[in-house]
Amino acid sequence: MAHHHPPMDLLLEYAAGALPVAQSACVAAHLSYCQRCRQVVDRLEDVGGAHLERLDPQPVGESVLESVMARLDDPEPLRYAPNEVSDTQLPGLLDRLINGNYADLAWKRVTQSLSISYLKTGDPNHEFALYRIAEGGRIPEHTHGGSEMTLVLRGGFADESGEYHPGDFLVREGWDKHTPVALEGEECICLAVLDAPLKFTRLRHRWLNPLLKLHAG
Amino acid sequence: MAIKKDAGNSPAASGNGKWNVPTGRRTDEWSTALVQIGESQDRGAFTRFFRHFAPLIKAFALSGSSLSASHADELVQEVMLKVWQKAGGFNPEKAAASTWVYTIARNCRTDMFRRLQKFDTPLASDDFELESEEEESFVVLHTRRGAERVRELMSDLPPDQAQILAKVYMEGKSHSEAAAELDLPLGTVKSRVRLAIQKLQGLMEA
Repeated sequence: MAHHHPPMDLLLEYAAGALPVAQSACVAAHLSYCQRCRQVVDRLEDVGGAHLERLDPQPVGESVLESVMARLDDPEPLRYAPNEVSDTQLPGLLDRLINGNYADLAWKRVTQSLSISYLKTGDPNHEFALYRIAEGGRIPEHTHGGSEMTLVLRGGFADESGEYHPGDFLVREGWDKHTPVALEGEECICLAVLDAPLKFTRLRHRWLNPLLKLHAG
Repeated sequence: MAIKKDAGNSPAASGNGKWNVPTGRRTDEWSTALVQIGESQDRGAFTRFFRHFAPLIKAFALSGSSLSASHADELVQEVMLKVWQKAGGFNPEKAAASTWVYTIARNCRTDMFRRLQKFDTPLASDDFELESEEEESFVVLHTRRGAERVRELMSDLPPDQAQILAKVYMEGKSHSEAAAELDLPLGTVKSRVRLAIQKLQGLMEA
């Protein structure tokens, strides 16, 4: 069960369909772990339903009804079938973006204990990436130019403010400095959604910063 | 924004405010129609459902005049076709008919925006839906009462908070976009949303 959740205003933007696709996918992935937030989103969608009922109805021509009626017997669109061979045990949405096993992804090694794999969501302003940290490994102290959402998918990590396990969701803003360390016993895989690149703050890691330019898209 | 504002008594008490629609018999009418559509592909029920909801979906599409009239009609068609195809999955114990329609309209609009902007994404909004899970029965009960309370709460919201929620929900605007369009500081928008959320939270914990 998740212990760290998206803030309510983010869930509200999610329920209103107002989030960019990469952030929306990260929140949706948290929901698949968290019944509490699913219930909150159900209520927040009721706000949408209540607004819909209150709109001033706009006239719709009979021809629109006719063309819908004529299409009722069309075959339903094909739905994506879950990937049965993958080892990720992930919510369908991520499963689809990863499309296979963690091992089959292209991992870029950043430090001895950190590799990153960039996934394509089409979002032009957000990077959507998996961070893989070796057990007990450390991500060098860093800040963010913008906001970062993190969702733990496997293993866990700890930083200055707590310990995080699968399903836990974090948002960090601006110049928050932190140094995540993967828990012992298992490698840690997290999903991170960024709108500005990570910046290592310590002199001995700063030379790596050009490697971390934002991979949006 | 074409939202009607009812002043005065809470609709639950007055019994004839516009907000009362979903809690009275008519909600049952639309939920029942959806069940009929899902169970027996009832075209008569679907036509009634269309005549009620299509004009609301069109109003939703035109909110913030973000879509042209012809795209709005296209959206109405897409949403109503999905209503027909997905009605079998509608559970009247879990969601109000209008909420269920809202989520479909929201998803279709998102996909349409992305299509119009030639936005290349491997994800469609339907992919974000969760596989249906077993819910505890107390959760379902909680859900039905909660949906009614949300409507009561909406009618009591001060206009400045209601305005922001309408912008975010009906126009799909983020808090910062809403701030820009209403010419308000982002902090003001956020604090109004926060106040509305506090009231929602109060009823979720009740």
